[in-house]
Amino acid sequence: MGRTSAQGRSNAVRTARQLAGLTQAELAAAVGVSRQTVVAVEAGDYAPSVYLALSLAARLATTVEALFDPESTVLEATPRGTR
Amino acid sequence: MSSTRQDPLVRMAHVVGDFGNPFYAEERQRDVWNEASAFGLQLVIWCTLGVGTTTIWVVGAAAVPYVTVVLVLLGVVCALTVAYAQHLGVDLTGRDRVLRWRLVPYAALVVALTVGLVRAQEERLTASTLAGMVTGAAVVLLAAYVVTRRRGKRAGPP
Repeated sequence: MGRTSAQGRSNAVRTARQLAGLTQAELAAAVGVSRQTVVAVEAGDYAPSVYLALSLAARLATTVEALFDPESTVLEATPRGTR
Repeated sequence: MSSTRQDPLVRMAHVVGDFGNPFYAEERQRDVWNEASAFGLQLVIWCTLGVGTTTIWVVGAAAVPYVTVVLVLLGVVCALTVAYAQHLGVDLTGRDRVLRWRLVPYAALVVALTVGLVRAQEERLTASTLAGMVTGAAVVLLAAYVVTRRRGKRAGPP
């Protein structure tokens, strides 16, 4: 595991992206990173900077806590299609 | 960090490292490249020490000037790399970073290289030169130990 690793911590980026109806490429383009970066973030292989985390949250109409806090239940509690 | 931006070493590093390249704007690319660069630097150090040691032991005295030049060059590059990190407030002399098992093969290689250099120079080596080398090495090792120990104490529990 390198220094860029999120050490396998799970996050809700994939779930939020799917709820928003976006592909990985579309989300990547929207926040200004490569698709590989979105893939790595979703897989928990890469811990994004606070700025990228904020951009992801803004584009997915949610909060950073909802995306990256493992104890957050915001996305699970939100009914599909309300975002 | 605006004051460090004016630092000649930092400015030079920005030019040599091409830090203004748009490639660095993508944060994961930048981070992965940082890791790749660290891997590359370690590989260069290993290869240089390995090839230098082998050359000295195989070729002998004729290789000493060339190996010395390469080693000095490697030393300067490593010193600049460490200096850049230190200028930006990253301390590389912490005990946790320095005192690791991976240091053992490094030390073994350096000892083999040093012994090879001494052996290759045997004919030209006088007792006073040898004594100077041993004293110099002892002083450097002692200084490194003192600095590491002092920093370790400073970084102790709050």
